[in-house]
Amino acid sequence: MQQRNKKTASPSLSLGNFASTIGENLLNDAKISTRDVNVSYGDKQAIYDASLDIGRNQVIALIGPSGCGKSTFLRCLNRMNDTIGICKVSGKLMLDGEDIYAKKMDPVLLRARVGMVFQKPNPFPKSIYDNVAYGPRIHGLARSNAEVDEIVITSLEKAGLFEEVKDRLNAPGTSLSGGQQQRLCIARTIAVSPEVILMDEPASALDPIATAIIEELIDELRQNYTIVIVTHSMQQAARVSQRTAYFHMGRIVEVGDTNRIFTNPRHEMTENYITGKFG
Amino acid sequence: MQVTSLFLMIVGLGLLAFFLSFQRSARYNGPTRLRSLPHHYASLTAVWTVFPALLLMIVWSIIEPSYLQQKIEASLTTEIADQSSDAIGLYLNRVHLAIASGTVDADPVVQSLVVAYEKAALQSRYLNTAMVLVLCLGGITLGLSKILFKVHARVGIERLLKAFLILCSGVAIVTTIGIVLSVLFESIRFFNAVSVFDFMFGTSWSPQTSIRSDQVGSSGSFGAVPLFLGTLLISLIAMVIAVPVGLMTAIYLSEYATGKFRTIAKPTLEVLAGIPTVVYGFFAALTIAPFIRNVGESIGLSVASESALAAGIVMGVMIIPFVSSLSDDVIRAVPQSMRDGSLALGATRSETIKKVIIPAALPGIVGSVLLAASRAIGETMIVVMAAGLAANLTVNPLEAVTTVTVQIVTLLTGDQEFDSPKTLAAFALGLMLFVTTLLLNVIALHVVRRYREQYE
Amino acid sequence: MNNTETVKAGLKKRYAREKRFQFYGKAAVMSGFVFLIFLLFDITTKAIPAFSITEILLEVPMDRSSLGLSTDTSVSIDDEAIAAIDYAGLVKKSLRSQFPEATKRKDKKLLYRLMSGSAEYELRQLIIDDPGLIDGEPLSIWFKADDDVDTFYKLKRNTSRIKAQQVEFIASLKTESRIRTALNWDFFTNGDSREPEQAGIKGALLGSFWTLLVTLMVSLPVGIAAAIYLEEFAPQNRLTDFIEININNLAAVPSIVFGLLGLAVFINFFGMPRSVPLVGGLVLSLITLPTIIISSRAAIKSVPPSLREAALGLGASHMQMVFHHVLPQAMPGVLTGAIIGMAQALGETAPLLMIGMVAFIVDVPDGVLDSATVLPVQIFLWADSPESAFTALTAATILVLLAFLTVMNALAILLRNYFERQR
Repeated sequence: MQQRNKKTASPSLSLGNFASTIGENLLNDAKISTRDVNVSYGDKQAIYDASLDIGRNQVIALIGPSGCGKSTFLRCLNRMNDTIGICKVSGKLMLDGEDIYAKKMDPVLLRARVGMVFQKPNPFPKSIYDNVAYGPRIHGLARSNAEVDEIVITSLEKAGLFEEVKDRLNAPGTSLSGGQQQRLCIARTIAVSPEVILMDEPASALDPIATAIIEELIDELRQNYTIVIVTHSMQQAARVSQRTAYFHMGRIVEVGDTNRIFTNPRHEMTENYITGKFG
Repeated sequence: MQVTSLFLMIVGLGLLAFFLSFQRSARYNGPTRLRSLPHHYASLTAVWTVFPALLLMIVWSIIEPSYLQQKIEASLTTEIADQSSDAIGLYLNRVHLAIASGTVDADPVVQSLVVAYEKAALQSRYLNTAMVLVLCLGGITLGLSKILFKVHARVGIERLLKAFLILCSGVAIVTTIGIVLSVLFESIRFFNAVSVFDFMFGTSWSPQTSIRSDQVGSSGSFGAVPLFLGTLLISLIAMVIAVPVGLMTAIYLSEYATGKFRTIAKPTLEVLAGIPTVVYGFFAALTIAPFIRNVGESIGLSVASESALAAGIVMGVMIIPFVSSLSDDVIRAVPQSMRDGSLALGATRSETIKKVIIPAALPGIVGSVLLAASRAIGETMIVVMAAGLAANLTVNPLEAVTTVTVQIVTLLTGDQEFDSPKTLAAFALGLMLFVTTLLLNVIALHVVRRYREQYE
Repeated sequence: MNNTETVKAGLKKRYAREKRFQFYGKAAVMSGFVFLIFLLFDITTKAIPAFSITEILLEVPMDRSSLGLSTDTSVSIDDEAIAAIDYAGLVKKSLRSQFPEATKRKDKKLLYRLMSGSAEYELRQLIIDDPGLIDGEPLSIWFKADDDVDTFYKLKRNTSRIKAQQVEFIASLKTESRIRTALNWDFFTNGDSREPEQAGIKGALLGSFWTLLVTLMVSLPVGIAAAIYLEEFAPQNRLTDFIEININNLAAVPSIVFGLLGLAVFINFFGMPRSVPLVGGLVLSLITLPTIIISSRAAIKSVPPSLREAALGLGASHMQMVFHHVLPQAMPGVLTGAIIGMAQALGETAPLLMIGMVAFIVDVPDGVLDSATVLPVQIFLWADSPESAFTALTAATILVLLAFLTVMNALAILLRNYFERQR
C-alpha cells in the first residue's frame, strides 16, 4: 500500500480511481433507491452520479470528509433542497417506487413520510408539548385533544425523553439541555410517524454522554423506521449503522456492510479515510 | 451690533495670534527639537487669545442688564425711591420703552433716568471692550513668549478637543432635560390654574378664556378627555390599517419575494415614510376626506367633512413602512434552522410562518408596532389639516374629532400671551404627549433589544 | 398505522390556505404601491394648472394726457411725477378702450375684475425702468388675468365667481387672440401673496435654505463630534449608556415636542425673535441630531481596525488617528447620514408652527434673522386658503418639495454606493 498524505489524496490525482462506486450499493426491495443523481448549486456541482439504495428498517451511515456532499445528498431525500433557489437535482430518486422529484409528488406529503433531524437542535420557541404536537396538528393527524396528548406522550416515550420532562411539558423547548433538545427534535419528527428519518450529524453539537444516549435511541428506532444518518465520526457510524457509504468530493466511493467497510475497505481512499490519513 | 463687532474683533485677533505663533514655532531653532508641530503651538496660542475673552464677553452679556438696572435704581431720586415697588417697576418699564423705541418720554423723571441709563450703558461697553482687548493681548503675549515652548502643545490641544467632543455628546442629554424642564415648568403653572383632576378626567374642552375677568361663563374648560379619545381613535384607525398591511408586507418581502423584487419593493415602500407629513395632510384633507364623504353620503350616512376616518387612513398608510421595515428585520433575524425544522416536518410555508416564525419574532414585532403607535400618537400635520378642531366626545370614526397635537398647534399658533392658561394648556398637553411616547419608545426599544440578544 | 392518507386528505385545504396567505402578502405590498402611485398622480394632476397662467393683451396709451401728466412738453418729467401717475387708472382706461361697449358702472366693474391687481405694479415698474416710453407709441403688454378668470380660461371650469358679462368679455378677447396661457415664472420668482396669480415660492425656498443652513452648521459638527466621542473615546459606564438611551429616545420623540422646547427655551427664555430661520434651524438641528449621530457612529464603526492599528503603530496619538485616518474614511457615510437628516429637516412642519414660522410673509428673506417661512409651512398655509387657485399652487409646491427630497435622497444613495465601492 502506498503511503499517501493529505495532499496527494486530492481528487485530481485519483479521480479515475473512484469514477464508479465500489461495493454493494444496490439492494433488492430498497426503501429508497437513487440512480445517477447529480446535484449542483448554480455553477458548482456538489454530487456526481450517485447511485445508492437504502434498505428498510436499517440504519445507513453516510461518511466522508467535510464538503464531500453527504449532507447535500441527504437533503435530496426529502427535498429540503427545494428551499434553496439555485439548487438543481437530476437523476432518479425513488421512495417505495414513487419518484421523489416527480411533479405529482407533493413535498409536504413527502416530508411527512421522510422526516429530518438537524445538526444543531432547533426546537421551536414553544412549549415542549407544543413542539411535539406541532406536526400532528398541522397534518390533522389527531381528531381530538386526547389523541394529541397520546401522540405527544408516545413520541416522547419513543425518544426516551418522557421520563425527564413529564412534569414540565409546558416549559419552553429551549429550556432543555442540548441533548434533551435533540431528543425533543427526534420526538417531534416521530410524532408525524414518518417512514424514513434523515439525521444530519445529529450528535455533533452534543457532549459524549448525550451522544451515547442519542446513539442508543437510534438503535432502538431502527425497529420501526428506516434511518439515514450523516456523520463525521467513524466510530459513530460503526456503532449505529448496518451499512455505510463513503462519500468523497461529491461521489459515492464505496458502499457496504458497516463491518466490512471498517474491517476490509476495498478502495484505497476509503481505507485512507477510515485509518485517519486524511479527513 | 456691539456684541457682533466685539466678537469679530476677538476672532480676528485669534487668527492673528495663530498666524504669528505658527511663524514663530516653524522657525524655532532651539537646543532641542520641539515636542509638538507648529500648528499645535499656533492653535494653542489662538485658544489662549480667544477663549478667556469669549468667556468674559458671555459673562458680561449675562450680568450687564442687572448691572444697568442697579445703576438706574441708584440714580432714582429719593421721592420716587420711597414709593412702592410697583410704581418703581412702572418707571423702569417706561425707561426701557423709551430706550427701545428711541422716543423721548414726556416725563422729566423718565428723561433723566434714560440719560443715566445711557451713560451707564456706554461706560459698561467701554469697560467690556477694554477688558476683552486686555485678555486677547495677554493671550497673544503669552503665546509669543518663551513659555509656549515649555508646554506640550499637542496634548493640550487634544485635551481641549476631547472636552469639545464630550460637550457635543452631552447635547442629547441637555435636549432631553430641556424638553422635560420646559414642558414640566409650564405644565406646573397650568396646573396651578386648572386642577390636574379636571384636566385628566374632564369631558369638556373649550380653551377660550375670557378677555375681561368679570365675564360670565367663559373661563374656559380644560377637560382633555375628548382630546385623548380623539387621539386614540385616529391612532387606532391608523394602526388597524398599518399593522396588518405592514406585517403582511414584511412577511411577503422576507419570506416569499425574490431577491430582485425585494431590492426594488423595499426602497419604494420606504418612500412612503420619506414623504413629508404635510403632503399627507394635504392629500387627506383634499382627496380622501371628500371621497369618504361622498361615498358615505351615497349610502346614506352622514359624514363630517373632517372625519376621523380620513385622517386615520392616511396616517395608517404613512406608518406602514415603520411597521414593515422593522418587522422585516426581526423576521429575517429568525434563524433559518427554525424554518428548516418546520418544513422538514411537512409544514407548508404559510404554516411555518404563522405557527413558527411569527411566534418566534413576536417580541420584535410587538416592538415595531409600539414604535409605530408612538409615531401615530405624536403625528401632527395630518391631523391638523384633516381632522377638525371640534372636541367631540365620540368614537364614531365618521365624525370630526380633535387630537392632542392639533390642540397644541391651535393653542400656540398666532400671537398669544405666554402666561394665559390657554397657552399653558398646550404645554400640559405636550407633557402628556411626551410621557406617553417616551413610555412607548422605552418599552419598544427594550423589547426589541431583548429580542435581538435572544438570537445573537 | 399509516398516516399518508390522512395527510393527503388535508392537503387540498392546506394548499388553498397557503395560496390565500401568499395572496394577502402580495395584496399588502401592492396596496402600498397603489397608494403611492395614486398619491403622486393626484398631486401631479392637481399641480399642473399652477405652472401656467392666463394673460391678457392690453394696449396702454403712452401720451401725456392719458398718463395724467402735464401736456406741456417743455416740462421735464421727474421721478416724483412718474411715481404719482395713476397706474391703476391707466390699466382701467386701457380696458375701457378695449371694450367701449361697457358703459354701465356694473359692467365696468366686472371688466376691471378681469385683470390681476399686479397689472398696475407691472406697468409702474416698466415706466420707472424706462421713462423714455412716455410720449412714445401705445404699448402692447401681456398682463396677468385675475385668478378666477385664470381658472375659468385655463380649466374651462366656471365657478359662480365669473359672471355672464365677463364670459362675453373673455370670448371676445379670445376671438381677437388677446388672451393666452403662458408659463407661470412668477411661481418661482415671487414671494407669497394673498392673490393666487401673484403668489410664488421664492420666499419659502429661501426660508428653507436659510433654515437648513443653520441646521447643517449646528447639527453636522455637533453630530460628528458626539459620534466620535461615543465611538472612539467614551468609557463603558453608566453615563455613556445614558447618553445612548437618550439619543435613541430623542429619535422617536414627536417633532412637535421639539417645537415646544424651541418656544419655551429659545424664544421665551433666551428671548430670540419669533419666525426667524435661526430659531427654526436650531430646533430642526436638535431633531436631526440623533439621525446624524447614529449614522455617523455606524460609519466610524465600519472603518477597519487594521487602519487604526497602522496609524497607532506609526506613533500617532489616538486623536490624530481619529482625525487623520478614521474620520476621512468614514466621511462618505457621515455625509450620507447628514443628507438624510437634512431631507428629514426639509420636510418638517409641526415644530416650525410652534416657533411662529407660519406668518404671512411677502418679502423674500435675506438672512437667518429675517422673518421667513419654509416650503412645508407654505404648503400648510396655502392648503388652508379658500381660493381654489391656491390648491393648484399647494400641489405645485408639494412637487417642488418632493423634487428636492428626491434629489437629496438620490445624492445619499449615490454617495453610499460610492462608499461601498471604495471598501
